[in-house]
Amino acid sequence: MSVDPGVLARARVRVLGPVPIGPADPAPAGLTRAVEPSGRVWLLPAWPDGATPALLEEYQTAPPSMDRPGQARRVFAAALRCCWTDLDTAPWPGRTAAIAAALEVYTCMGRGDADLMRRWGLGDLRRLADSGWLLLDETAGTVRLGPRTAAWPADALSSLRDLLRRLPQPPEQAGAAR
Amino acid sequence: MTELFEPLLRPYDEKRRAELVAAFMAVEQAAEPVPEPTFAALREPSQRRVVEEMLALVGRTLIRSRDRWISGYRDEVAAELARDPACGQREEDRAVLVLVLIHSVAIPRAEGLLTEDSWMSPVPTSVEELRKRSQLPIGELESALRRLRAAGLVGQVKAGDDTAGGFVPGPQFHRLTAAARRRLQEELILAAGPDSPLAGAVRARRRDRSGRQGGEA
Repeated sequence: MSVDPGVLARARVRVLGPVPIGPADPAPAGLTRAVEPSGRVWLLPAWPDGATPALLEEYQTAPPSMDRPGQARRVFAAALRCCWTDLDTAPWPGRTAAIAAALEVYTCMGRGDADLMRRWGLGDLRRLADSGWLLLDETAGTVRLGPRTAAWPADALSSLRDLLRRLPQPPEQAGAAR
Repeated sequence: MTELFEPLLRPYDEKRRAELVAAFMAVEQAAEPVPEPTFAALREPSQRRVVEEMLALVGRTLIRSRDRWISGYRDEVAAELARDPACGQREEDRAVLVLVLIHSVAIPRAEGLLTEDSWMSPVPTSVEELRKRSQLPIGELESALRRLRAAGLVGQVKAGDDTAGGFVPGPQFHRLTAAARRRLQEELILAAGPDSPLAGAVRARRRDRSGRQGGEA
């Protein structure tokens, strides 16, 4: 029994998370394109009527759990603080930041052994990259936002902007006038 | 990008439409099967059929466990995805997962401790057992377990006062169709006792099935 190519493409995105495609390739119906400044294009799932998994909260239904979710969220916030620098615009695609800068912001957010926090924080950056929330280039020592952030609805961003404004500034910008 | 679902949703008023979308999102995104009474579109068979049609557009289907529902890959879609090397699991992850299934499900089921047609199990497989049987260096085993946990394929059980901790099949096993559960069962029989009469029966049944399909084609 052969499977419709559109159905298979949508199922594949569920298996793999955001999938890179060629710049000229069309997005099958039900998938949306997220384009990087470099021209690289990612396919993302698009849900009916603009729904997002946040809908589950209205029904007191738990999403899949992850290990150490609080810590992962704080590390993600630190990476967002460094990569989403112009808060008046959309977070995606944002700009490339140093992994060291994201870890610096993270260690400034808590009170603990900074070396230990950096080590755990790097592990969380890797986990966030595995799930498509961040793009990590450990050879170059850089981090960028992952294509999943392109799917955030614009009207859901205001509380995130408020939160990020309260976080420590990334080290390279600390001296710059803002 | 709603146009994919639009032909299915268009006939319904706003309230019904929201109920259909909520049920679709719940079965697709929840960690565990969701209770039927909570979702209007899962309660009514006619609405449930629409949810099923929405899921079919993304290669998925509804799976029932008692009065709860969740979604999983349609069998023909899972077969296609399994042929795609990019979609496969690493070999060492598969090896560790099979050990968890043998120790947490197959052995307890053979002992009569698990009776349901399910791959969920409360019986943990210890890390020691995994290390001994997989023969993987501890670092590789831990990496495999981390990936399997992140994918929801195994869950961790913490040790209690008089119970040992370890790993059990993860919530993704709720998402197997009846045919997928049967295939998994057969694969484990073939792996665990290739010369057993049961394995012989599995091979004979598969020969019959492929022969019939070959005859139909």
